Amino acid sequence: MTDEPQVELSPEMIEKIMGIVEKEGLVDRAKLTPDATLESLGIKSADMVMILMALEEQFGSYIPIDGPLTEAKTVEDFLRAIAPHIHPKPSAA
Amino acid sequence: MISGQRIYVTGMGAVTALGSGVSALWNGAVSGVSGVRPISFGEKYPTMIKQAAFLERPPKSPGIRPGSPGDVDFVTSIALTAAAEAMSQAKWPTDMPLGNDAAVVIGTGIGAITTIEGEYQKYFSTGDRPDPFTVPKIMPSAPASNISMTYGARGISFALSSACASSSQAMGMALLLIRAGLARRAVVGGTEALLTYSGFRAWEGLRVMTPTLCRPFSKDRNGMVLGEGAAVMLIETEEALAERGGEPLAEIAGFGTTSDAGDMLRPDAQMCARAMSAALVDAGVKPEEIGYLNAHGTGTILNDQTESRAMRDVFGGHLDALPVSSTKPVHGHTLGAAGAIELVITIEALRNSIAPPTLNWISADSNCIADPVPNAARGAAINAAMSNSFAFGGINSSLVIRKV
Repeated sequence: MTDEPQVELSPEMIEKIMGIVEKEGLVDRAKLTPDATLESLGIKSADMVMILMALEEQFGSYIPIDGPLTEAKTVEDFLRAIAPHIHPKPSAA
Repeated sequence: MISGQRIYVTGMGAVTALGSGVSALWNGAVSGVSGVRPISFGEKYPTMIKQAAFLERPPKSPGIRPGSPGDVDFVTSIALTAAAEAMSQAKWPTDMPLGNDAAVVIGTGIGAITTIEGEYQKYFSTGDRPDPFTVPKIMPSAPASNISMTYGARGISFALSSACASSSQAMGMALLLIRAGLARRAVVGGTEALLTYSGFRAWEGLRVMTPTLCRPFSKDRNGMVLGEGAAVMLIETEEALAERGGEPLAEIAGFGTTSDAGDMLRPDAQMCARAMSAALVDAGVKPEEIGYLNAHGTGTILNDQTESRAMRDVFGGHLDALPVSSTKPVHGHTLGAAGAIELVITIEALRNSIAPPTLNWISADSNCIADPVPNAARGAAINAAMSNSFAFGGINSSLVIRKV
Protein backbone atom coordinates (compact mmCIF):
# COMPACT_ATOMS: atom_id res chain seq x y z
CA MET A 1 0.00 0.00 0.00
CA THR A 2 3.00 2.19 -0.53
CA ASP A 3 1.75 4.40 -3.33
CA GLU A 4 -1.79 4.94 -2.06
CA PRO A 5 -2.43 8.47 -0.87
CA GLN A 6 -3.35 8.57 2.80
CA VAL A 7 -6.92 9.72 3.18
CA GLU A 8 -8.43 10.49 6.57
CA LEU A 9 -12.00 9.33 7.06
CA SER A 10 -14.25 11.35 9.37
CA PRO A 11 -15.61 9.59 12.48
CA GLU A 12 -19.11 9.76 10.95
CA MET A 13 -17.86 8.12 7.77
CA ILE A 14 -16.07 5.38 9.73
CA GLU A 15 -19.30 4.80 11.66
CA LYS A 16 -21.21 4.45 8.40
CA ILE A 17 -18.64 2.02 6.96
CA MET A 18 -18.59 -0.04 10.14
CA GLY A 19 -22.35 -0.32 9.87
CA ILE A 20 -21.90 -1.78 6.38
CA VAL A 21 -19.21 -4.21 7.60
CA GLU A 22 -21.45 -5.28 10.47
CA LYS A 23 -24.45 -5.89 8.21
CA GLU A 24 -22.77 -7.36 5.13
CA GLY A 25 -19.99 -9.22 6.91
CA LEU A 26 -22.32 -10.56 9.63
CA VAL A 27 -19.95 -9.29 12.30
CA ASP A 28 -20.70 -8.40 15.91
CA ARG A 29 -20.33 -4.60 16.11
CA ALA A 30 -18.62 -4.76 19.51
CA LYS A 31 -15.77 -6.77 17.99
CA LEU A 32 -15.12 -4.21 15.23
CA THR A 33 -12.10 -2.56 16.82
CA PRO A 34 -9.25 -1.07 14.75
CA ASP A 35 -6.79 -3.81 15.68
CA ALA A 36 -9.20 -6.74 15.22
CA THR A 37 -8.05 -8.97 12.38
CA LEU A 38 -10.43 -9.68 9.53
CA GLU A 39 -9.64 -13.35 10.05
CA SER A 40 -10.65 -13.26 13.72
CA LEU A 41 -13.91 -11.58 12.68
CA GLY A 42 -14.57 -14.41 10.25
CA ILE A 43 -14.54 -12.09 7.22
CA LYS A 44 -13.73 -14.34 4.26
CA SER A 45 -13.20 -13.41 0.59
CA ALA A 46 -16.90 -13.88 -0.18
CA ASP A 47 -17.87 -11.60 2.75
CA MET A 48 -15.46 -8.97 1.45
CA VAL A 49 -17.15 -9.08 -1.97
CA MET A 50 -20.51 -8.40 -0.24
CA ILE A 51 -19.02 -5.52 1.77
CA LEU A 52 -17.51 -3.96 -1.36
CA MET A 53 -20.82 -4.29 -3.22
CA ALA A 54 -22.57 -2.39 -0.42
CA LEU A 55 -19.85 0.29 -0.43
CA GLU A 56 -20.42 0.71 -4.17
CA GLU A 57 -24.16 1.20 -3.59
CA GLN A 58 -23.53 3.67 -0.78
CA PHE A 59 -20.67 5.72 -2.20
CA GLY A 60 -20.62 5.00 -5.93
CA SER A 61 -17.05 3.73 -5.63
CA TYR A 62 -15.47 0.74 -7.34
CA ILE A 63 -12.95 -0.76 -4.94
CA PRO A 64 -10.87 -3.54 -6.50
CA ILE A 65 -10.21 -6.53 -4.29
CA ASP A 66 -6.67 -6.46 -5.67
CA GLY A 67 -4.23 -3.91 -4.37
CA PRO A 68 -3.88 -2.57 -0.82
CA LEU A 69 -7.04 -4.40 0.21
CA THR A 70 -5.42 -7.77 -0.55
CA GLU A 71 -2.78 -7.04 2.09
CA ALA A 72 -5.20 -5.73 4.72
CA LYS A 73 -5.10 -7.82 7.88
CA THR A 74 -6.93 -5.66 10.42
CA VAL A 75 -9.98 -3.39 10.48
CA GLU A 76 -7.61 -0.42 10.50
CA ASP A 77 -5.77 -1.77 7.41
CA PHE A 78 -9.13 -2.26 5.74
CA LEU A 79 -10.20 1.32 6.41
CA ARG A 80 -6.86 2.68 5.20
CA ALA A 81 -7.13 0.59 1.99
CA ILE A 82 -10.63 1.72 1.10
CA ALA A 83 -10.32 5.36 2.25
CA PRO A 84 -8.95 6.72 -1.06
CA HIS A 85 -12.02 5.27 -2.85
CA ILE A 86 -14.63 6.77 -0.52
CA HIS A 87 -15.75 10.09 -1.89
CA PRO A 88 -17.19 12.69 0.49
CA LYS A 89 -19.97 13.44 -1.98
CA PRO A 90 -21.47 10.19 -3.18
CA SER A 91 -21.96 9.99 -6.93
CA ALA A 92 -24.56 7.80 -8.54
CA ALA A 93 -23.30 4.44 -9.73
CA MET B 1 -4.61 -46.64 -26.81
CA ILE B 2 -2.74 -45.47 -29.88
CA SER B 3 0.68 -45.80 -28.31
CA GLY B 4 3.55 -43.74 -29.61
CA GLN B 5 1.45 -41.87 -32.18
CA ARG B 6 2.12 -38.18 -32.26
CA ILE B 7 -0.86 -35.87 -32.38
CA TYR B 8 -0.41 -32.73 -34.39
CA VAL B 9 -2.09 -29.37 -34.71
CA THR B 10 -2.60 -28.91 -38.44
CA GLY B 11 -4.77 -25.79 -38.56
CA MET B 12 -5.60 -22.91 -36.27
CA GLY B 13 -8.15 -20.11 -36.27
CA ALA B 14 -8.84 -17.23 -33.90
CA VAL B 15 -11.23 -14.34 -33.42
CA THR B 16 -10.12 -11.83 -30.79
CA ALA B 17 -10.32 -8.12 -30.02
CA LEU B 18 -7.19 -7.80 -32.16
CA GLY B 19 -9.28 -8.77 -35.18
CA SER B 20 -10.21 -11.90 -37.07
CA GLY B 21 -7.43 -14.39 -37.66
CA VAL B 22 -4.40 -15.93 -35.99
CA SER B 23 -2.07 -13.41 -37.62
CA ALA B 24 -3.93 -10.43 -36.09
CA LEU B 25 -3.70 -12.10 -32.66
CA TRP B 26 -0.05 -13.08 -32.98
CA ASN B 27 1.00 -9.69 -34.39
CA GLY B 28 -0.76 -7.96 -31.50
CA ALA B 29 0.85 -10.27 -28.95
CA VAL B 30 4.36 -9.84 -30.35
CA SER B 31 4.25 -6.12 -31.03
CA GLY B 32 2.41 -5.32 -27.82
CA VAL B 33 -0.74 -3.92 -29.38
CA SER B 34 -3.69 -4.30 -27.02
CA GLY B 35 -7.27 -4.99 -27.99
CA VAL B 36 -8.43 -3.41 -24.72
CA ARG B 37 -10.49 -0.26 -25.34
CA PRO B 38 -13.34 1.75 -23.81
CA ILE B 39 -16.60 -0.15 -23.46
CA SER B 40 -20.07 1.29 -22.91
CA PHE B 41 -23.53 -0.25 -22.83
CA GLY B 42 -25.29 3.10 -23.19
CA GLU B 43 -26.44 5.77 -20.77
CA LYS B 44 -29.17 3.60 -19.25
CA TYR B 45 -26.68 0.91 -18.32
CA PRO B 46 -23.72 2.42 -16.45
CA THR B 47 -20.71 0.40 -15.33
CA MET B 48 -17.92 1.09 -12.84
CA ILE B 49 -15.20 -0.42 -15.04
CA LYS B 50 -15.06 1.13 -18.49
CA GLN B 51 -12.73 -1.03 -20.58
CA ALA B 52 -12.50 -4.51 -22.07
CA ALA B 53 -11.08 -6.40 -25.05
CA PHE B 54 -14.54 -6.84 -26.54
CA LEU B 55 -15.78 -7.90 -29.97
CA GLU B 56 -18.11 -5.76 -32.06
CA ARG B 57 -21.46 -7.50 -32.57
CA PRO B 58 -22.41 -7.42 -36.23
CA PRO B 59 -25.86 -5.97 -36.94
CA LYS B 60 -28.61 -8.59 -37.18
CA SER B 61 -28.68 -9.89 -40.72
CA PRO B 62 -32.24 -9.85 -42.08
CA GLY B 63 -31.21 -12.51 -44.58
CA ILE B 64 -30.92 -15.28 -42.01
CA ARG B 65 -34.10 -17.33 -41.71
CA PRO B 66 -34.95 -18.15 -38.07
CA GLY B 67 -33.94 -21.71 -37.28
CA SER B 68 -31.64 -21.98 -40.30
CA PRO B 69 -27.99 -23.01 -39.86
CA GLY B 70 -26.74 -19.40 -39.69
CA ASP B 71 -29.17 -18.46 -36.92
CA VAL B 72 -26.83 -18.83 -33.95
CA ASP B 73 -25.71 -16.90 -30.89
CA PHE B 74 -22.62 -14.73 -31.22
CA VAL B 75 -20.61 -17.22 -29.11
CA THR B 76 -21.25 -19.87 -31.78
CA SER B 77 -20.73 -17.56 -34.72
CA ILE B 78 -17.18 -16.62 -33.63
CA ALA B 79 -16.38 -20.30 -33.01
CA LEU B 80 -17.52 -21.08 -36.56
CA THR B 81 -15.33 -18.27 -37.93
CA ALA B 82 -12.32 -19.62 -36.04
CA ALA B 83 -13.08 -23.18 -37.19
CA ALA B 84 -13.26 -22.05 -40.84
CA GLU B 85 -9.80 -20.49 -40.57
CA ALA B 86 -8.41 -23.64 -38.94
CA MET B 87 -9.86 -25.91 -41.65
CA SER B 88 -8.54 -23.60 -44.34
CA GLN B 89 -5.02 -23.55 -42.86
CA ALA B 90 -5.12 -27.34 -42.58
CA LYS B 91 -6.09 -27.43 -46.26
CA TRP B 92 -9.05 -29.65 -45.48
CA PRO B 93 -11.10 -29.90 -48.72
CA THR B 94 -14.22 -27.76 -48.36
CA ASP B 95 -16.60 -30.37 -49.72
CA MET B 96 -15.22 -33.33 -47.75
CA PRO B 97 -16.94 -34.30 -44.46
CA LEU B 98 -14.61 -34.93 -41.54
CA GLY B 99 -16.35 -38.25 -41.11
CA ASN B 100 -16.94 -40.87 -38.45
CA ASP B 101 -13.56 -40.68 -36.74
CA ALA B 102 -13.62 -36.92 -36.15
CA ALA B 103 -14.47 -35.50 -32.71
CA VAL B 104 -15.53 -31.95 -31.79
CA VAL B 105 -14.81 -30.58 -28.32
CA ILE B 106 -15.47 -26.89 -27.69
CA GLY B 107 -14.99 -25.26 -24.31
CA THR B 108 -17.01 -22.32 -23.05
CA GLY B 109 -17.27 -20.86 -19.57
CA ILE B 110 -20.61 -19.10 -19.84
CA GLY B 111 -22.06 -19.74 -23.30
CA ALA B 112 -24.74 -17.85 -25.18
CA ILE B 113 -25.37 -14.97 -22.78
CA THR B 114 -26.27 -12.53 -25.60
CA THR B 115 -29.35 -14.62 -26.43
CA ILE B 116 -30.13 -15.45 -22.80
CA GLU B 117 -30.04 -11.78 -21.79
CA GLY B 118 -32.18 -10.72 -24.76
CA GLU B 119 -34.78 -13.41 -24.13
CA TYR B 120 -34.99 -12.65 -20.38
CA GLN B 121 -35.71 -9.05 -21.27
CA LYS B 122 -38.61 -10.20 -23.43
CA TYR B 123 -40.02 -12.60 -20.82
CA PHE B 124 -39.74 -10.32 -17.81
CA SER B 125 -39.88 -6.85 -19.26
CA THR B 126 -40.93 -6.04 -22.81
CA GLY B 127 -43.28 -8.93 -23.56
CA ASP B 128 -41.98 -9.10 -27.13
CA ARG B 129 -42.30 -12.38 -29.02
CA PRO B 130 -39.68 -14.83 -27.73
CA ASP B 131 -37.27 -16.44 -30.16
CA PRO B 132 -38.64 -19.96 -30.73
CA PHE B 133 -35.09 -21.13 -31.42
CA THR B 134 -33.74 -20.00 -28.06
CA VAL B 135 -32.95 -23.54 -26.85
CA PRO B 136 -30.70 -24.62 -29.75
CA LYS B 137 -28.93 -21.27 -29.44
CA ILE B 138 -28.25 -21.29 -25.70
CA MET B 139 -27.43 -24.93 -25.06
CA PRO B 140 -23.76 -24.98 -24.07
CA SER B 141 -23.06 -27.58 -26.76
CA ALA B 142 -24.37 -25.29 -29.54
CA PRO B 143 -20.88 -24.23 -30.72
CA ALA B 144 -19.70 -27.87 -30.84
CA SER B 145 -22.86 -29.05 -32.61
CA ASN B 146 -22.72 -26.28 -35.19
CA ILE B 147 -19.09 -27.11 -35.96
CA SER B 148 -19.93 -30.81 -36.18
CA MET B 149 -22.78 -30.06 -38.61
CA THR B 150 -20.75 -27.62 -40.70
CA TYR B 151 -17.85 -30.02 -41.25
CA GLY B 152 -19.62 -33.38 -41.09
CA ALA B 153 -17.75 -34.54 -37.98
CA ARG B 154 -19.64 -37.66 -36.89
CA GLY B 155 -17.57 -38.91 -33.97
CA ILE B 156 -18.03 -37.83 -30.36
CA SER B 157 -18.89 -34.15 -29.92
CA PHE B 158 -19.58 -32.19 -26.76
CA ALA B 159 -19.08 -28.97 -24.85
CA LEU B 160 -16.68 -28.73 -21.97
CA SER B 161 -17.29 -26.13 -19.29
CA SER B 162 -14.83 -25.49 -16.48
CA ALA B 163 -14.74 -21.69 -16.28
CA CYS B 164 -11.33 -20.33 -17.30
CA ALA B 165 -9.92 -23.83 -17.83
CA SER B 166 -12.66 -24.83 -20.31
CA SER B 167 -10.75 -24.74 -23.56
CA SER B 168 -7.45 -25.89 -22.08
CA GLN B 169 -9.27 -28.95 -20.77
CA ALA B 170 -11.06 -29.26 -24.14
CA MET B 171 -7.65 -29.52 -25.83
CA GLY B 172 -6.54 -32.06 -23.25
CA MET B 173 -9.70 -34.14 -23.48
CA ALA B 174 -9.47 -34.22 -27.28
CA LEU B 175 -5.91 -35.44 -26.92
CA LEU B 176 -7.06 -38.21 -24.57
CA LEU B 177 -9.98 -39.18 -26.84
CA ILE B 178 -7.61 -39.60 -29.76
CA ARG B 179 -5.09 -41.53 -27.69
CA ALA B 180 -7.92 -43.79 -26.51
CA GLY B 181 -8.81 -44.56 -30.11
CA LEU B 182 -12.19 -42.82 -30.03
CA ALA B 183 -11.15 -40.47 -32.84
CA ARG B 184 -8.29 -39.89 -35.25
CA ARG B 185 -8.79 -36.18 -35.56
CA ALA B 186 -10.67 -33.49 -33.68
CA VAL B 187 -11.87 -29.94 -34.11
CA VAL B 188 -11.17 -28.49 -30.71
CA GLY B 189 -10.97 -25.13 -28.98
CA GLY B 190 -12.98 -22.63 -27.02
CA THR B 191 -15.28 -19.66 -27.37
CA GLU B 192 -16.56 -16.92 -25.07
CA ALA B 193 -18.65 -13.83 -25.72
CA LEU B 194 -20.04 -12.57 -22.45
CA LEU B 195 -19.50 -8.84 -22.67
CA THR B 196 -23.15 -7.98 -22.51
CA TYR B 197 -24.34 -5.59 -19.80
CA SER B 198 -25.38 -8.31 -17.36
CA GLY B 199 -22.27 -10.40 -18.09
CA PHE B 200 -20.05 -7.40 -17.48
CA ARG B 201 -21.84 -6.32 -14.30
CA ALA B 202 -21.67 -9.87 -12.95
CA TRP B 203 -17.90 -9.80 -13.30
CA GLU B 204 -17.72 -6.34 -11.79
CA GLY B 205 -19.39 -7.73 -8.69
CA LEU B 206 -16.37 -9.88 -7.91
CA ARG B 207 -14.12 -6.73 -7.84
CA VAL B 208 -11.33 -8.55 -9.66
CA MET B 209 -11.21 -6.18 -12.64
CA THR B 210 -8.64 -3.42 -12.77
CA PRO B 211 -9.95 0.14 -13.02
CA THR B 212 -6.58 1.08 -14.60
CA LEU B 213 -4.34 -1.30 -16.58
CA CYS B 214 -3.88 -5.06 -16.42
CA ARG B 215 -0.21 -5.61 -15.54
CA PRO B 216 0.48 -9.28 -14.78
CA PHE B 217 3.34 -10.11 -12.38
CA SER B 218 4.05 -6.39 -11.86
CA LYS B 219 4.30 -4.44 -8.67
CA ASP B 220 1.16 -2.32 -8.19
CA ARG B 221 -1.02 -4.61 -10.28
CA ASN B 222 -4.66 -4.39 -9.33
CA GLY B 223 -6.68 -6.85 -11.34
CA MET B 224 -7.61 -8.37 -14.65
CA VAL B 225 -9.23 -7.11 -17.83
CA LEU B 226 -12.01 -9.06 -19.54
CA GLY B 227 -11.93 -10.14 -23.17
CA GLU B 228 -13.95 -12.09 -25.69
CA GLY B 229 -12.94 -14.41 -28.47
CA ALA B 230 -12.64 -17.88 -29.89
CA ALA B 231 -9.83 -20.15 -31.01
CA VAL B 232 -10.30 -23.46 -32.77
CA MET B 233 -7.78 -26.00 -34.05
CA LEU B 234 -7.79 -29.14 -36.13
CA ILE B 235 -5.67 -31.82 -34.50
CA GLU B 236 -4.82 -35.15 -36.15
CA THR B 237 -2.80 -38.25 -35.49
CA GLU B 238 0.42 -38.47 -37.48
CA GLU B 239 -1.02 -41.48 -39.30
CA ALA B 240 -4.25 -39.70 -40.27
CA LEU B 241 -2.25 -36.72 -41.42
CA ALA B 242 0.17 -38.84 -43.45
CA GLU B 243 -2.78 -40.48 -45.24
CA ARG B 244 -4.09 -37.16 -46.48
CA GLY B 245 -0.71 -35.47 -46.83
CA GLY B 246 -0.95 -32.33 -44.68
CA GLU B 247 1.62 -30.29 -42.80
CA PRO B 248 1.87 -30.27 -38.98
CA LEU B 249 2.27 -26.97 -37.13
CA ALA B 250 3.18 -28.38 -33.71
CA GLU B 251 2.69 -31.47 -31.60
CA ILE B 252 0.22 -31.48 -28.71
CA ALA B 253 2.39 -33.51 -26.40
CA GLY B 254 1.05 -33.40 -22.86
CA PHE B 255 -1.90 -32.54 -20.66
CA GLY B 256 -2.17 -32.29 -16.90
CA THR B 257 -5.16 -31.25 -14.86
CA THR B 258 -5.97 -31.09 -11.15
CA SER B 259 -8.57 -29.69 -8.77
CA ASP B 260 -7.80 -27.71 -5.62
CA ALA B 261 -10.85 -29.06 -3.78
CA GLY B 262 -10.48 -25.97 -1.63
CA ASP B 263 -11.65 -22.39 -2.07
CA MET B 264 -13.93 -21.34 -4.96
CA LEU B 265 -11.88 -18.23 -5.79
CA ARG B 266 -8.44 -18.59 -4.18
CA PRO B 267 -5.96 -20.67 -6.18
CA ASP B 268 -3.73 -23.31 -4.59
CA ALA B 269 -0.07 -23.23 -5.67
CA GLN B 270 0.52 -26.88 -4.93
CA MET B 271 -2.28 -28.07 -7.18
CA CYS B 272 -1.30 -25.63 -9.96
CA ALA B 273 2.20 -27.10 -9.76
CA ARG B 274 0.84 -30.64 -9.92
CA ALA B 275 -1.06 -29.82 -13.12
CA MET B 276 2.13 -28.47 -14.72
CA SER B 277 4.20 -31.45 -13.57
CA ALA B 278 1.58 -33.89 -14.81
CA ALA B 279 1.58 -32.24 -18.26
CA LEU B 280 5.38 -32.49 -18.42
CA VAL B 281 5.33 -36.17 -17.41
CA ASP B 282 2.56 -36.87 -19.93
CA ALA B 283 4.59 -35.20 -22.67
CA GLY B 284 7.83 -36.91 -21.66
CA VAL B 285 9.43 -33.46 -21.48
CA LYS B 286 11.81 -32.42 -18.69
CA PRO B 287 11.16 -29.05 -17.01
CA GLU B 288 14.44 -27.65 -18.35
CA GLU B 289 13.39 -28.51 -21.92
CA ILE B 290 10.53 -25.98 -21.78
CA GLY B 291 11.62 -22.90 -23.75
CA TYR B 292 8.55 -20.68 -23.29
CA LEU B 293 5.64 -20.62 -20.86
CA ASN B 294 2.43 -18.71 -21.53
CA ALA B 295 1.21 -18.11 -17.99
CA HIS B 296 -2.36 -17.85 -16.80
CA GLY B 297 -1.14 -14.46 -15.48
CA THR B 298 -4.45 -12.70 -14.90
CA GLY B 299 -2.97 -9.62 -13.22
CA THR B 300 -4.72 -10.25 -9.90
CA ILE B 301 -2.55 -10.20 -6.80
CA LEU B 302 -3.42 -13.75 -5.82
CA ASN B 303 -3.18 -15.52 -9.18
CA ASP B 304 0.17 -14.08 -10.12
CA GLN B 305 1.87 -14.78 -6.81
CA THR B 306 0.36 -18.28 -6.61
CA GLU B 307 1.36 -19.11 -10.18
CA SER B 308 4.87 -17.74 -9.57
CA ARG B 309 5.26 -20.00 -6.55
CA ALA B 310 3.92 -23.00 -8.48
CA MET B 311 6.29 -22.37 -11.40
CA ARG B 312 9.23 -22.17 -9.00
CA ASP B 313 8.22 -25.54 -7.52
CA VAL B 314 8.09 -27.15 -10.96
CA PHE B 315 11.00 -25.48 -12.75
CA GLY B 316 13.38 -24.72 -9.88
CA GLY B 317 16.44 -22.79 -11.04
CA HIS B 318 15.44 -23.16 -14.71
CA LEU B 319 12.66 -20.61 -14.08
CA ASP B 320 15.25 -17.81 -14.03
CA ALA B 321 16.25 -18.65 -17.61
CA LEU B 322 12.76 -19.54 -18.86
CA PRO B 323 10.82 -16.84 -20.74
CA VAL B 324 7.40 -16.67 -19.06
CA SER B 325 4.81 -14.12 -20.10
CA SER B 326 1.13 -13.36 -19.83
CA THR B 327 -0.52 -12.11 -23.01
CA LYS B 328 -3.80 -11.25 -21.27
CA PRO B 329 -3.21 -7.46 -21.42
CA VAL B 330 -3.32 -7.92 -25.24
CA HIS B 331 -6.43 -10.09 -25.77
CA GLY B 332 -8.00 -9.73 -22.33
CA HIS B 333 -8.99 -12.61 -20.11
CA THR B 334 -11.23 -14.52 -22.47
CA LEU B 335 -12.28 -17.02 -19.77
CA GLY B 336 -13.53 -20.22 -21.41
CA ALA B 337 -11.69 -19.35 -24.63
CA ALA B 338 -8.45 -18.36 -22.88
CA GLY B 339 -6.80 -21.79 -22.95
CA ALA B 340 -7.24 -22.16 -26.71
CA ILE B 341 -6.40 -18.54 -27.59
CA GLU B 342 -3.26 -18.67 -25.47
CA LEU B 343 -2.31 -22.06 -26.93
CA VAL B 344 -2.49 -20.47 -30.40
CA ILE B 345 -0.04 -17.82 -29.18
CA THR B 346 2.17 -20.49 -27.57
CA ILE B 347 2.27 -22.44 -30.84
CA GLU B 348 3.13 -19.28 -32.81
CA ALA B 349 5.84 -18.48 -30.23
CA LEU B 350 7.33 -21.94 -30.80
CA ARG B 351 7.10 -21.66 -34.59
CA ASN B 352 8.61 -18.16 -34.70
CA SER B 353 11.16 -18.59 -31.84
CA ILE B 354 9.82 -15.47 -30.14
CA ALA B 355 8.53 -15.05 -26.59
CA PRO B 356 5.76 -12.43 -26.65
CA PRO B 357 5.86 -9.81 -23.89
CA THR B 358 3.83 -9.06 -20.77
CA LEU B 359 2.46 -5.56 -21.36
CA ASN B 360 2.08 -2.75 -18.81
CA TRP B 361 4.69 -4.22 -16.48
CA ILE B 362 6.25 -1.54 -14.24
CA SER B 363 8.67 -3.26 -11.87
CA ALA B 364 9.19 -6.53 -10.06
CA ASP B 365 7.00 -7.70 -7.20
CA SER B 366 9.02 -9.77 -4.74
CA ASN B 367 6.21 -12.36 -4.67
CA CYS B 368 6.25 -12.88 -8.44
CA ILE B 369 8.61 -13.97 -11.19
CA ALA B 370 11.04 -11.11 -11.72
CA ASP B 371 11.31 -11.16 -15.49
CA PRO B 372 8.02 -11.85 -17.29
CA VAL B 373 9.45 -10.70 -20.66
CA PRO B 374 8.34 -7.18 -19.77
CA ASN B 375 6.87 -4.95 -22.47
CA ALA B 376 9.00 -6.11 -25.42
CA ALA B 377 9.17 -9.45 -27.23
CA ARG B 378 12.32 -11.53 -26.97
CA GLY B 379 13.94 -14.07 -29.27
CA ALA B 380 13.95 -17.54 -27.71
CA ALA B 381 15.00 -21.00 -28.84
CA ILE B 382 11.83 -22.99 -28.17
CA ASN B 383 11.61 -26.73 -28.73
CA ALA B 384 8.82 -27.25 -26.23
CA ALA B 385 6.43 -24.86 -24.53
CA MET B 386 3.70 -24.81 -21.89
CA SER B 387 0.41 -22.97 -21.51
CA ASN B 388 -1.37 -22.67 -18.14
CA SER B 389 -5.04 -22.12 -17.33
CA PHE B 390 -6.29 -21.89 -13.75
CA ALA B 391 -9.99 -21.48 -13.14
CA PHE B 392 -12.42 -20.41 -10.44
CA GLY B 393 -13.61 -23.55 -8.75
CA GLY B 394 -9.98 -24.57 -8.33
CA ILE B 395 -9.63 -26.26 -11.71
CA ASN B 396 -6.07 -26.25 -13.06
CA SER B 397 -5.03 -27.27 -16.55
CA SER B 398 -1.67 -27.25 -18.30
CA LEU B 399 -0.75 -28.17 -21.87
CA VAL B 400 2.66 -28.95 -23.32
CA ILE B 401 3.46 -28.62 -27.01
CA ARG B 402 6.56 -29.70 -28.90
CA LYS B 403 8.21 -28.63 -32.11
CA VAL B 404 7.63 -30.97 -35.03
